[in-house]
Amino acid sequence: MPLSPRTGKWPGGRPLLLAGFGSLLLLMLAAGGYALGTLGQVRTSDLAERDTYLRRDHALDRVQTGIYQSAIIMRDYLLAPDEAAAAAQIARFDETRGQTDQALRECATLIDTTESPALRELQSELQVYWELLEYISRIPPQDRLVRGSEYLTNQVRQHRAELIRMVDQVDAISARQMAASDARMNETFARLRSRLVLIVALAVGMGLLLAGFTIWRTLRLEEELERRYREVLHTQQELADLSARLVSAQEEERRNISRELHDEVGQSLSALLMEAGNAAALVAPKDAHVRQHVESIKKLAEASVNIIRNMTLLLRPSMLDDFGLVPALEWQAREVSKRTGIRVQVAAAESAGELPDELKTCIYRVVQEALHNCARHAQARSVRVVVRQEESRIVLSVEDDGRGFDARRVRGLGLVGMEERVRHLGGAFQIRSTPGSGTKVDVELPLAS
Amino acid sequence: MTRILLADDHTVMRNGLRLLLERQPGLKVVGEAADGRQAVDLAAAETPDVVIMDIAMPQLNGVEATRQIVNRNPSVAVVILSMHKDESYVIRSLKAGARAYLLKDSAEADLIAAIGAITEGKSFFSPAIRSLLKEDYMHQLDELDAEDSFELLTNREREVLQLVAEGKSNKEIAAVLNLSLYTVETHRTHILQKLNLHSAPELILYAVRKGIIS
Repeated sequence: MPLSPRTGKWPGGRPLLLAGFGSLLLLMLAAGGYALGTLGQVRTSDLAERDTYLRRDHALDRVQTGIYQSAIIMRDYLLAPDEAAAAAQIARFDETRGQTDQALRECATLIDTTESPALRELQSELQVYWELLEYISRIPPQDRLVRGSEYLTNQVRQHRAELIRMVDQVDAISARQMAASDARMNETFARLRSRLVLIVALAVGMGLLLAGFTIWRTLRLEEELERRYREVLHTQQELADLSARLVSAQEEERRNISRELHDEVGQSLSALLMEAGNAAALVAPKDAHVRQHVESIKKLAEASVNIIRNMTLLLRPSMLDDFGLVPALEWQAREVSKRTGIRVQVAAAESAGELPDELKTCIYRVVQEALHNCARHAQARSVRVVVRQEESRIVLSVEDDGRGFDARRVRGLGLVGMEERVRHLGGAFQIRSTPGSGTKVDVELPLAS
Repeated sequence: MTRILLADDHTVMRNGLRLLLERQPGLKVVGEAADGRQAVDLAAAETPDVVIMDIAMPQLNGVEATRQIVNRNPSVAVVILSMHKDESYVIRSLKAGARAYLLKDSAEADLIAAIGAITEGKSFFSPAIRSLLKEDYMHQLDELDAEDSFELLTNREREVLQLVAEGKSNKEIAAVLNLSLYTVETHRTHILQKLNLHSAPELILYAVRKGIIS
């Protein structure tokens, strides 16, 4: 699987989501603001309408009262015992007339212009009425009671009924206006409701879209994450395989070089030694200096044979391939003992000699590394190496009595290498150590692989 | 006349050995094998008295070839001539039936002496091998703080041990020490028990380590 350098297929995903959620929020805020504003407005206009209605009603009442009252005043005028009382009644009449006209004018300001003809009619009718009543005041005092009463009864009362009817008409107009205002209010409410429904529907739709997009995007991201994770795992596996191949290639190389050195170079040097001996035997006794040269050739060859022997064993001990694991481990133990003075005990089952090549190589190298660590770092006095076979696995332990270390923190390249070898063969590797109490390496390797 | 078979995959080595051996009166090279299998075949065909055998050889290694040759004809004396200088090779060679173990770098000096010893029925080891075995043994004793089990043997048992190690049969030992065959066998069993050994080759190795024989 190739590593793709993709850094997110949806660069616009995040801004898109932010913008979506932002506008959803704004929409809801706007809807709330609009609803509150409309409600407030409705409430204010409702109050104003009601106020107008009341004032208008009141004014009309005053007009009606004025009409009645002025008729009563004129009757009282007719019945006045003297001129002074009559004059007082005229003054009252003028006052009432002014107040009534005033009330009607006020009413005109409070009524819709579409209804003003009815009001104007009322106004002119009222003027006629006033003139009718004024006529009474112009009747000479001696005829007042007779003509005035008759006039009042016939003309004024008839006219007054007409007037009252008109006042009632205007009253009806006022009531109509009130009803129209209510209807306007209801209309406003209905508009508000339908707009709110629209906005909520819009918000819900948008929310659903956003939720859908968010879920889809989350799933995509999860998928991406999963894919990356698999890639990482795959790469790790590849690295482990590569490192294992490296290890086995190195081991193969060592084996070849070791064998080549031993079988070819070593044997040739041995033959050289032999031939030098044969040559020395042929040298005449008088040629002592020739014999000397041959002897030094033999010494050189001998030294070389020893060097080759040590090199081959260090590269890869031949016992490992010729006789198996146990002799190789025992040789290693003797070598470490001789070189460092550490007492190395090997307890290994003989059957451990019949192991597959990579298993015995792994165990041998782990022990080699562990003993190397004992000698270099642990300051151990004795080490115990145990190899035993259990049903389908090989169990190895290397335990020393050295100064130990903090196994949780220290992890050198050697330990990592050991662990890697073991893991590659499907085994378990564990190192236990605490400062002051020695170190124990435990390895378990499965046999059937 | 001692008849000798050479088994080594290096021609130069075989030529050198032949030259060395045939300078001696009474020694004759009757065949040369370039690998273990050929050595087994030639040993059967030529019935040599002595086989000089390398260990690292193609087809069949020297230790296995030795085992097959001695199994077929126990009177053949095999001298291992190898570059390997480790007791695992020595003990395996002895267990396979070899009577002598020489290092190639000391062949020229020791080969004639080794042939002399084994034709008399004794074992022979290169001095380097001898000191190596001895050194390792002493080292092991030091390491284990173990008591030298040789101290456990009676004088008579030590005599029997030496004769066994020299390659004598029970019958010969009985004759030399003037004992019954049964008594010699009992001594032999006791020796193996006391020294915690299990076979004649191990006993020979032990004797070499202790310097009882050379």
